[in-house]
This record gives sequence, C-alpha cells and structure tokens, in this order.
Amino acid sequence: MASKASAGARAAGAGLARDPALAVTVVLLWAGLALFVVYPLAMLFARIVVDQGHVSLAGLGGILTDRHQVRAFGNSLLLGALVGLIGTVVGFAFAFVAARGRLPLWLVATIDASVLLPLISPPFTTAIAMIFSFGPRGLVTYGLLGVKGFSVYGLWSTLLSEALTYFPIAYLTLRPILAAIDSNVEGMARSLGASRWRVFRTVTLPLAIPGIANAFLLLFAASLADFATPLILAGNAFPVLPTQAYLQITGMFDLRGGAALSFALLVPALIVFVLQRYWVSRRQYVTVTGKGAGQTPFDSMTPGVRAALLAVCGGVTLLIVYFYALLLYASLVVALGANHAFTLAHYRTIFTDGAKAIRDTLTIAALATPLGGLYGIAVGYLVARKRFPGRRTMELVSMIDYALPGTIVGIAYLIAFNDPPLVLTGTALIIVACYVFRYGPTGIRATIALLAQIDPSLEEASRGLGAGSATTFRRVTLPLIAPAFFAGLGVVFIRSMTAISATIFLISIGWTLITVKILENITELSLGPAAAFSVFVVAIVFVVTGAIARAVRLFRAPGATQVASLLGG
Amino acid sequence: MMNRHDWRARVARALALLAVPALALAATSAARAADTLNAYSIWPENWARPMFEEFEKATGVKVNFVRFSSGEALARVIAEKNNPRVDVLFGGPVETFAAGIAEGVFEPYKSPSFARLPARMKQADGQWTAIADDPLVFMTNDKFVKEHGLKAPASWDDLLNPAYKDSLQMADARTSGTAVTRIFSILEVNGRDENKAFAYMKKLRPNVQLYTKSGGGGTLPVGLGQAGGGIFFIVDALDTKAKGYEVTISFPKEGIGTAGEGIALIKGAKNPELGKKLIDWATSPAMQSNFAKYKINFVPAHPDVALEPSLAAILKDVKLFPIDADYAGANRKRIVDRWIAEVLNP
Repeated sequence: MASKASAGARAAGAGLARDPALAVTVVLLWAGLALFVVYPLAMLFARIVVDQGHVSLAGLGGILTDRHQVRAFGNSLLLGALVGLIGTVVGFAFAFVAARGRLPLWLVATIDASVLLPLISPPFTTAIAMIFSFGPRGLVTYGLLGVKGFSVYGLWSTLLSEALTYFPIAYLTLRPILAAIDSNVEGMARSLGASRWRVFRTVTLPLAIPGIANAFLLLFAASLADFATPLILAGNAFPVLPTQAYLQITGMFDLRGGAALSFALLVPALIVFVLQRYWVSRRQYVTVTGKGAGQTPFDSMTPGVRAALLAVCGGVTLLIVYFYALLLYASLVVALGANHAFTLAHYRTIFTDGAKAIRDTLTIAALATPLGGLYGIAVGYLVARKRFPGRRTMELVSMIDYALPGTIVGIAYLIAFNDPPLVLTGTALIIVACYVFRYGPTGIRATIALLAQIDPSLEEASRGLGAGSATTFRRVTLPLIAPAFFAGLGVVFIRSMTAISATIFLISIGWTLITVKILENITELSLGPAAAFSVFVVAIVFVVTGAIARAVRLFRAPGATQVASLLGG
Repeated sequence: MMNRHDWRARVARALALLAVPALALAATSAARAADTLNAYSIWPENWARPMFEEFEKATGVKVNFVRFSSGEALARVIAEKNNPRVDVLFGGPVETFAAGIAEGVFEPYKSPSFARLPARMKQADGQWTAIADDPLVFMTNDKFVKEHGLKAPASWDDLLNPAYKDSLQMADARTSGTAVTRIFSILEVNGRDENKAFAYMKKLRPNVQLYTKSGGGGTLPVGLGQAGGGIFFIVDALDTKAKGYEVTISFPKEGIGTAGEGIALIKGAKNPELGKKLIDWATSPAMQSNFAKYKINFVPAHPDVALEPSLAAILKDVKLFPIDADYAGANRKRIVDRWIAEVLNP
C-alpha cells in the first residue's frame, strides 16, 4: 500500500480508499449536513433573492445600510465580545478551582450543580429573575437598597444575564481540558524552581489556550444568536441584530429583510471561527502520551489566590442560587407580588394541561441526545485526526447552524421541509434534526480541543499493532475523548429541554415543547405555571446530567474495556 | 490492515440509529382522527381551550390547536402557504388578518351570521370575520399613582406628566396589534392629523420605559409596580386585576380605540367543511355567549349577545371609536414605519 502522504499526513491516518469505515462515516455525515444544514439555508437564501421569479437584491441593500440596523450590528458584536470575555474568564476561574483547587469533593459537586442551573432553564428565566430583582420595584434595588426608578433595561443587564447563562459552556469546555493537563509537568516545573505564577503562565495557561479559544468562540456565537434575553432586557436603547431580525420576521412579516439581517450575523461568527482555527493550529499542544492515572493534582495556588478565586466563584454561585430560589418561590405561591399564599396548583396545572408538552419534550430529547453526542465526536474526531477531501469545509459547515440565530434556522427549516420533496414539518424528526445540528457542534469543538492535547502517536501505535481505524477509534481514541463526548451529550440534552428560538417555528399540532409553554405562560401572565415548568425542567435535567456524570466516573475507573461496552461496542 | 467485521458493525449501528427518528415520524402521521380540525390560535390557551371544548360538546368536532402570537401565527401561515397545516386561524386582532389578505392565505367564507354583523366586524369579501371586540384602556399601578400624588389618568395629556418619566410600558408597533390600535387611536383623537399625532407620541416617548413585544407584555410589570402604567387591551387589563394585582383601569375623556378579533379559513385547508363549521359557530351567539361564563372580558361581536353586566358597567359612558379598517389597512405600513423612524429610534 504505497502512500504519497507527507510525514504529517501519515500521522493523521489512512486515506479514504483504503478505509471503508472512514468513507462510510464521511458520506453519512456529509449527507446529514447537506440535508439539514446546507439545503434549508439554500432554500431560505433562494426565498430572499428570488422575487416573483426574478433574482433581485433590491431592498436588501436598504435594510443592511439602515443606520439603526448598523447600530444593532455594532451592539451585537460588542455584546458578543463582552459575553465571550467575561464568560470565559468566569468559566476558567470555575474550571481552575474545580480541577486544581484541591477542594473537598462535596464542594466540587456543589459548584457543579449550581453552575449547571443557568444552562438548564430557558434563558428568559434568568432575564425575568433579573427584572424581579433589579427593576424599578426590584427585590434588590428597591426592596433591599431602596433605590427608586432604577433602570434595568440596557447593555449591562443583558450582558450580566447572558454571561450568567452562558459561562457554564466555558466551564464545561475548560474543565476537561484542565483536568487532562498532566499535573506531573506542572509539578516538574515547580520542582525546577519556577514560582506558582510562572508555572501557571508558562505551562498551564498555554496548554489551556485551545480550550480558552473554544470557550470564547462558543460564548461569542451563543450571545450573537441569543434573542430571548435581549428581547426581555435590552429595552429600546440597545437593539441587537437577532432581536431585530426576529421582529422583522414576526412583526413586520418581512421574511426577506429578517433573513438578510441574520445572514449579516454569519460574517462575524465566521471571522472569529477562522481566526481561532488559524491561531490555535499554529501552536503545539501535545502534552501527554496518554493520561496516567492516579497522579496527585498539582498544587497550583497559594492560599491567598485560592481564597480570592473561591470568593469570586462563591459570589457568582450565590447570585445563581438566589435567582433560582426566587423561581422556586414563584412556583409555590398564588401570584408573585400580589398573593403569596402557598399553593401546589401550578404543579397540578403543568401535569394536566401541560402533560402533552412534557411527554413530547422528553421524547424529543431522548432521540436528539444520543444522535447529537455521536454526531459531535464523529465530526470532531474526523476533522482533528483524519485526512479526507473537504475536511475543513465539513468543519465550517458543521458550525453554521450553531452560529446562526435560532430564528433563522427555524424559518429555514420551515421553508425547506414544508413542501415536497421532503415534508417534515409537523413531525418530531424536524425538531430532533434541528437540535442535533444546532447543538452538536459543542461536542465537535470539545472533541477537537481535547484531541489537540493528545499525541497522535498513541493511535499510530494501535494501528501499527494491526488494529483497524474503527477499532483504534473505539479502543484508544474514544476513551481519551470521552469527557468531550459527555460534554457534548450533556449540552445537546440540556438544549433539547430548554431551547426555544429555532424550535418555536418547528413545533406543531403533533409536537409541542415545554419551553414554548413557558413563554406562552409568561405572555399570559401565568407566572406560576411558567415557574413550575422551569423548576420541573431543572429537576429532570439535574437527574439526567447526574447520571451522565456517573457514567463518566464509570468510564474512568475500570478502563477501556468497559468504555466500549457502554457505547454498545 | 483493517478489520472488516468492525466497519460492517459500525455501518449497521449507524443505520439503526437513523431508523429511530424515522419510526417516530411514522408514528405521528398515523394518529389523525376523522372529525378533527386543526387551528392556530392567537388567543391564549386559557381562553381558546374552553371555547374549543364547548365547540366539541356542541358539534362533536375536536379542535387540535397550537397557540402563537399574532406575528408568529401569520408568519407561519404564510410560510406554509403551499402546504397548509391548519384549517383555521383563530383569534387575534383583525389587522393581522388584514395583513394576511395581501399574502393570499385566506379562503373567503361568509357564515350565516355574516350579514348581521356591522361593517367593521367583517371583511367585505368574507376573508375574515370578527368574533369579538376589544377596547383599549389605561392601566396604572395604584401604589405608583399614590406615591407620586397622581390620579388615574383621565386624558391622553395626563400621560405626558413628567411624574411618569421612564415609567410607562406599552406594546411595540413592529410586533403587536395592540400597539397599532393605540397609534390609530392617537390619530383619531387628533382628527387624523398625522403631524399632531406624532408630535404627541414624541412627547410621550421620554415617559416610556419599554415597548414590549406582545400587547399584554407590560401588564405584569405594571401589576408588580416595576412600571407605573400603560395602555393595554381591556381583556389583558382585567385579567391583571383578577390575578389580585392592585391596578386601576381608566379611560381618556377624548376617547380611545377598539379593535375586532378575527377568524378566517385558510386557503387550501385539508378540512374546509369542518373549518367552516367552526367559523359558523364562533361568529354566532353560540360561542360568544360563553365569554362571560369563562370570565373572558371581550365585547361580543354579534349584536344579539348581551354584554356581561360588570363589563358593561366599566365601559359605561366611555367614549370608544372603532378603528376604520380601510383607513388603517391603507396606511398601516406607512404609519408603523414612521413610528419606528420618529418615535422608537429618534
């Protein structure tokens, strides 16, 4: 088997022709991407530029040069960058404390649990808690501090709410990375005389760079695409593009203008993505030749630093816990702010009138989670480790639905799958596909970042010893990237339970979702049932992510044989 | 170098995974009863559900429905134009329906009640028919009003009082029929002099804390005292009061607008006969006499249905003017665009 591959490509693996498993996987993934990412957007784009049978860009120029839309565009970038920055810093602090703080296990578990809270409820739940707490008659601003006429709408509240909602993504991305850094390396640097700060700056931080870049990218994209939080908190002084696009479509019935505004969002998302790829790929991140078990964590922090970090994390955790205690309270009283008598009526309501939404949501999540998790590691692994035509393009295409605002993805799906040849509207499949291709990329990014740390020679050795690429993947790579797989799995499940922006267009007579019910309850002034639904979602997600965490532990202890059996190998 | 058994097993697993959603798809399309019609409801579920249950009791026809805000419902109906998923669009301000006519998504149909309705309660060709009428009101938070030494506003000019600075919430004209009705009310009050009306709205702007996405979006903040007051449809305002929030409903002496709530048959509906049955029922006293029973504070559109006494008492001596559908329809887009340019983003 003569190979014309270069030395670098040899390390990356075999070509398509002599690796049928790779070929089949690549073809399947491309089929999925073509059908559920490219095709809907192409149909949407056609709807934008084809005007009564003619290709026309007239009218689009007007909306893209409008000074209010330009301002909204600038606001979106500013907000995304700030959310990315603050979210990554906070997420890193949490991940660092959890991975390196030598904390007692119960404290790590507590941090884990409370950090997950914002991720596992719809974004507007945090936004509503913000208004209750910091509004003109807010519990904190008015009730506690006695400030009158405090304004809650604008950049700072949107920023705070989004950072609080999305920083757990950074935490979930960074923690496995920090945990994977061989602390023996840090220990050695320390014993060679480097100060803790120097070890952190010259060893730990550079090794975490791919993770940090990923976290920033994910947060920036998430903020860029979020419309629910700005819709409630940004007010009229701080318009952002996703909200404008949403209003353009749902309010002005201007599908073309709204779609054009959304496409404008794709540009910054792609720029950040390309920068990050270029920057990350220029660095060497191979630190381990396998992850030794049973090492003692390196003591990275002086007591002072640890106390300061704990104070920051504690403060953030406290704020989150307070927000959700408020939510729980609202679900247990007749009407928050008017009648604080205890009642369980709201829970009765959600399990009778809301039973169908609960059933549908759980079914869809059960379908989307395994598919999304597999999709994440499959694409991530192929992109990071294999050579095949269109590899970079696949990575790019797989990120599109994540970067685009949900509104536009939802409308694109609606347009593409409502008419033959492929009619999917009204089915659960359309919602499942949306979740897999929109939230699977978290797993892709996590896998790529983790693989950047693992020397390909491990896999080479496996192949050298005669294992096929599928066996190598299952027995060697999979156990190594398991943390990324579970991060991806967790995020897809969480989003399946909590997302709304895209799927609000995809629910139907046959399939509805809890999140849509919550939004509806909020508009109907039924805060109690909205809060009860949210508490229910939080509880379910806690149980499932807890089970996932247990699975991770199961993985780590007895070794690779059990890994394979758990994944059905 | 490679293990043949291994990749075959992999392919088989991948195919098995693909089969799962396919089965789910098959299962959903199977479940469709004979006497069932599908509808998008713009009315909130807690009003639409009892109406549809009464309809099923009366006719044996079950209504499958999902609720959307007016903008979302219309965007959906338009997107599904070539393959309609529902038979009827139910509830919501008639100006939403007027916007749908231009898109050609409705099938004209005149129910037996059609001839009995006043002109503004129907579209001449029967593209939509009104099932209720909904006046606007001022709603203020009692504590806010007392703290600032005010009285419940009794004139449009009362809202310009600097005491309300940054304290009013009302709907955004880009998304809400409530807002469009409000703007046309201000036009009517000013004798349709657009410059005068816009001068008023610009003067009101500093007192507006937030323009909300939905018409009722500001009611909870006003109820909680996060906002001092606002302009809402009476159904939303009375609902706020019924929840126990301490608010006062008042009307301007110059008069305020009222807007119809509509129903329409979707063009290309899969169950047109059942859809017509629902329209017949909803436009007649059969449905509208149920409003009072379920504490839905709409004014019935059909002249034969008596107004519920407590609602009648609230509306007694109130100067209401209907929004002229033709005038509003012809000028809506231009007025909303001007509102966005001059009031929302000055």
